[in-house]
Amino acid sequence: MTDGLIILFGLTMLYLSTTSRLKAHVNTLVVQGLLLFLICALDFKNHPWHTIAFLTVETLLVKAIVIPMFLNKVLRKTQTNRDTDANVAHFYCLLISSVILFGGFMLSVVEIPSLSMINSIYFGIALATIIISLWLITIKHNILSNVIEFITMENGIFLLSLSVAKEMPILVNIGVLLDVFIAIYILGLFVSQINKELGDMEVAHLSDLKDSE
Amino acid sequence: MISMVLILPIIFCLILLFAKNNKLNNFFMVLYSIIHFVLGLSYFIKPDLIGNNQYFSLNGTNIIFYIVLSIVYLAVSFYNIGYSKNLESEFKPKKMMHYSTMILIFVLSMTGGILANNLGLAWIFIEGTTLASAYLIYFNKTKHSIEAAWKYVFICSIGIALAFVGIILLTIATGNLNSLNYNDLLANAPNFSKFWLNISFVFILFGIGTKMGLAPVHFWLPDAHAEAPSPISALLSATLLNCAFLIILNVYRIMLASTSIAYARTLLLVMGFLSLFITSVFLYHAKNYKRMLAYSSIENMGILAIATSLGGVAYYALMIHLIGHSLIKASFFLTSGNVLELFETKRIKSVRALFLVDKKTSWLWVLSFLGICAFPPSVLFISEFLIVKTFLIQKHYLLCALFLFLLTIILFAMGRVVIKMAYGEKTPEKFERAVANLKKLDLTMYIPQICLLTLAFVLGVYIPKILDITIISGLIG
Repeated sequence: MTDGLIILFGLTMLYLSTTSRLKAHVNTLVVQGLLLFLICALDFKNHPWHTIAFLTVETLLVKAIVIPMFLNKVLRKTQTNRDTDANVAHFYCLLISSVILFGGFMLSVVEIPSLSMINSIYFGIALATIIISLWLITIKHNILSNVIEFITMENGIFLLSLSVAKEMPILVNIGVLLDVFIAIYILGLFVSQINKELGDMEVAHLSDLKDSE
Repeated sequence: MISMVLILPIIFCLILLFAKNNKLNNFFMVLYSIIHFVLGLSYFIKPDLIGNNQYFSLNGTNIIFYIVLSIVYLAVSFYNIGYSKNLESEFKPKKMMHYSTMILIFVLSMTGGILANNLGLAWIFIEGTTLASAYLIYFNKTKHSIEAAWKYVFICSIGIALAFVGIILLTIATGNLNSLNYNDLLANAPNFSKFWLNISFVFILFGIGTKMGLAPVHFWLPDAHAEAPSPISALLSATLLNCAFLIILNVYRIMLASTSIAYARTLLLVMGFLSLFITSVFLYHAKNYKRMLAYSSIENMGILAIATSLGGVAYYALMIHLIGHSLIKASFFLTSGNVLELFETKRIKSVRALFLVDKKTSWLWVLSFLGICAFPPSVLFISEFLIVKTFLIQKHYLLCALFLFLLTIILFAMGRVVIKMAYGEKTPEKFERAVANLKKLDLTMYIPQICLLTLAFVLGVYIPKILDITIISGLIG
């Protein structure tokens, strides 16, 4: 059951790489948040109540509700609908993302001695999610899509932390939450300010500072 | 006392938020800088006062970093007395209050990052520095400052996230050890999985290296340093980069203890030389003097990375270089604040005849340049000399030649700019405006730089025994 949810989580990255509607990107974040919640619920049911409470707040409340709500608000405020200026066409995006995701699956299928101490399906999909997110950040030109891909990368890192078979220190969980905090407040705040200052959300407008005149 | 240093800024921030009094801003900044400095001194005079605990401690490893932060912050807080008077005429009291509270939170985050015994905790504080300093970089609220702040936040957040991946991978490498405490990690390092340790080091080096400003992940640094108010640039360059470096150094120690070191050394050496190369290329075309100083920071971070990878005597040089760079670069950035107040521009082309406008500022400008270029008796001369010596002892002749060649290009590029700015021919209109702006500078905008430079040049002639012992014991530790 958990493996199925993780595979579904990986597939959301394919959807993200083929759509240009930002609303759809935000909806993908909701789905990812819910999937992470279900994965935690299935995996951590025997853990103490405070760990379960913390993970529920982190996945269900923050990742599936608060962040998407916040991003929807920014979308409405900035009236941004699509990110159409990516450097790579959707077909090739899908192709490359699929190859990366396939690589992630292979990591979990092939027997590698060094991977024996971790849950390899978590690890493979998490790594693929992080790489796809980083790659999407480099090819997309809209600031909001960059923020969304940053958050999917955070989701990938969260999944990676779950791949460690032993219990992660609470400190690391706080770290993930702090990253989410950065995503909401700083990036969100800056997105609004950039929109106010520049009138739109194109990264190209943020290239005034350079060494030559 | 450690708890006090970490709690006091929060109390001061709350008081400032409720009091909303401009006079209190500088009072609390200076008061905190003095308390901060006293804790550092107590390490040498009365160690019982420190009060190390499970999460934070002042020890042989981090004392140099802490003392450097204390001294630079002390200088910046005094400089800020004069500097903020000019800001107050431009900005509302509420904004000035935000400025001061954010500086306090920024220094608190750096202090926490230095004192943390735990890699995870240090990571959280480093992330905290991004939150606080982003506001300070964006303080002027211009199009350029928002661009710089955005790049800073976005690039550093990605870097820090990658460092977090590195920490997760490190926990995999640790096997059954369920702790991120530095001492636990060091003690158990020989049993760690080499495969996972090596991968985790790559992520931590690139992630935290982003914050440290090592090439090729340095892109935020020139923009952020150039657009931030000068006291903030001084803090960013002279202290924040060190905090990030301390984490890399601590992880490097773990690599050293696990005997998985050749790989880490190569990575550091490549990034170090790449930093020198990037600096030499970009400095040569510098059009903005604050960007020039920012590139110089990348260069010096590169030198620190090279010294770390060399080991041996270069470890000693590393600590000396860290102290010297922080003192001199803080002075350089603060003096650039004076130049900016006088000429109201960051363009190198528009700043000429500094010596005719203000002798004190121009002397500080030239001396800071001589100091950063390791001109004897600058303390950086000793460190760079020791690094060259280590290259020769280890028979890396080609690398040594490349190191000296790149440093010479950087020296030439910076020297050309500094001399033009100090002695170039004046243009009457700009000259008169600059002279008229002289009233903006008061004594507090000169004294901190004089003290910092004096310290840097005295250390070049005489290193006190207590500092010598501290550095050596830290290295052994």
